[in-house]
Amino acid sequence: MSFIDRVDPELVPALDLFPAELITAIGDDPPAARAMLEPLMAAMAEMLPPTEVTIEERSIPGPDGDIPIAIYQPPAPAPRPGLFMIHGGGYIVGTAREDLNGIGYADHVGCTVVSVDYRMAPEFTYKASIADCFAGLNWMFDNAAELGVDTGRIAIGGGSAGGGLTAGLALYNRDNKGPNIAFQLLVYPMIDDTHETPSGYEVTHPNVWNRDVSLKAWKMYLGDEYGTESVSPYAAAARATDLSGLPPAFVTVGTEDLFRDEDIDYAQRLMAAGIPTELQVIPGMFHGGEGFVPTASVSQRMRMGYLDALKRAIG
Amino acid sequence: MPFRDQVDPEIVHALDFFPAELMTAIGDDPPLARKMFQPIWDALADDAPPTDVAIEETSAPGPDGDIPVVIYQPPTPAPRGGLLWIHGGGYIVGSGRNDPHGIGFAEHVGCTVVSVDYRLAPESTYKESVADCVGALNWLVDNAAELGVDPKRIAVGGASAGGGLTAGVALHNRDHAGHDLALQLLIYPMIDDRHDTPSGHEITHPTVWNRAVSLKAWRMYLGDEYGTDAVSPYAAAARAKSVSGLPPAFVTVGALDLFRDEDIAYAQRLMAAGVPTELQVYPGMYHGAEMSAPDADVSTRMRLGYRDAVKRAIG
Repeated sequence: MSFIDRVDPELVPALDLFPAELITAIGDDPPAARAMLEPLMAAMAEMLPPTEVTIEERSIPGPDGDIPIAIYQPPAPAPRPGLFMIHGGGYIVGTAREDLNGIGYADHVGCTVVSVDYRMAPEFTYKASIADCFAGLNWMFDNAAELGVDTGRIAIGGGSAGGGLTAGLALYNRDNKGPNIAFQLLVYPMIDDTHETPSGYEVTHPNVWNRDVSLKAWKMYLGDEYGTESVSPYAAAARATDLSGLPPAFVTVGTEDLFRDEDIDYAQRLMAAGIPTELQVIPGMFHGGEGFVPTASVSQRMRMGYLDALKRAIG
Repeated sequence: MPFRDQVDPEIVHALDFFPAELMTAIGDDPPLARKMFQPIWDALADDAPPTDVAIEETSAPGPDGDIPVVIYQPPTPAPRGGLLWIHGGGYIVGSGRNDPHGIGFAEHVGCTVVSVDYRLAPESTYKESVADCVGALNWLVDNAAELGVDPKRIAVGGASAGGGLTAGVALHNRDHAGHDLALQLLIYPMIDDRHDTPSGHEITHPTVWNRAVSLKAWRMYLGDEYGTDAVSPYAAAARAKSVSGLPPAFVTVGALDLFRDEDIAYAQRLMAAGVPTELQVYPGMYHGAEMSAPDADVSTRMRLGYRDAVKRAIG
């Protein structure tokens, strides 16, 4: 059965929204990919409905210079819950201004969202990305009063590479005795650098996040560790040998996503480690499909799934 | 972490819904277990609010005599969707009468439900159980017009052992009768006679469906095949060599269910085979808790999850 035949019919038209050239460029020419992505993201942001959520861009001190951040504030009265959101983009592209998600969480949950422009590959490796995220997370806790956030209700979350960094940050934060994270929201997270699973071989379609580009992205993100046995679990959470003591988790992924099996496996391991974990796998859904066709029934179910999960956890 | 501490706080109180003596009796003294089980089941039905669903007891022709079936008819105008419902009870206890699931699906989905009283172990083995369920499915298909059922909207579903029989009937139907089924609804299905998974070893608590009683039930259900490599996939669907060509599936299970990992693994195999499959795993949820603690939030979500899945498929 071909990939297209397995995709939910409502999503098929969107397969061309994300051009194959962009996917390929992420692996082969990151600066070109970033230049191609910018107008696409701007166009998507234009299509967002009006919102009462305000967006502020500023910068905070990081381990190696300032880190640009975006703060999404809903009209909900303080103290609000907070989400430390980490954007996606294969560890190569993307910015803190992931408005569809930032506004979506702030609106639906009534939480303050802080999103960081972490350093990316290939200019940097996962070490810089994780360090920036950890610095951003600590800044959010340290400035909770100013942000109007209740430190007892701060979650971390993100989609794709942002989900991978969320899982890595949860591990890093546990091991470095960081602040108390209430919840980790893992939306089709990119967590296994080997993709040695059935789905890791199934998904090769050029218009979706596929095996070829994903392995190239991992190579840039991991640097010298790529292809070795010593890949850090903070970079690829599937490598972690101990999942105890992590925050409660919500994991969601589509059946036609390259990451399907690695994400399901990670959720199973969290459950076996006694971490309260919810898992939702949506049929016929490809990577990020709920963002491209938000009106499709499967998209709405996936999106309500993770928005409601965050609301139950911290709302 | 002790089992009780992992259970969702809202459902802890119902851990003793089924007394440990009943669980033990299912494995050791089936006639006694049936005597203990039916009043608990009947009480659930007695507590149910009044309903517009009409209930009729009749029978379908079977391979070895009549098969008792219970028909639940909602006031919805024909043609309706039709659900063959297969009750749970470890292949040892339970009946199609007073099954709260039957009314629930008829009401929520507006479908006709045919609940089958298949023969049970240890008096029979899986061969009779599967034959009776297949017989009831054939009868539902053959009598669709008279029952007011649209033959294009027929699903099979069940919980626990009923979920296991559902998976087995779906395989049997693929290999033999070839009816067009819109959905196989697998609610925490009992599908792997080995339980050789992390969850299959984790769950030993005496008042929930646990490893010891489950292995005893499998022994009675499989007869001579128990412990061999020749276990039929119609009895234990996890044994199926191929799961391609099966109807779309919905799989749900709790994170604290003995069957957690075998059910997730089966869902993953269906996905890899290109069968449209949805998977929902709920945190802190033990086997059957949405029936014994129906008002808890996690119970409500699980129940809505599977009822909505049937509604999408045949509603």
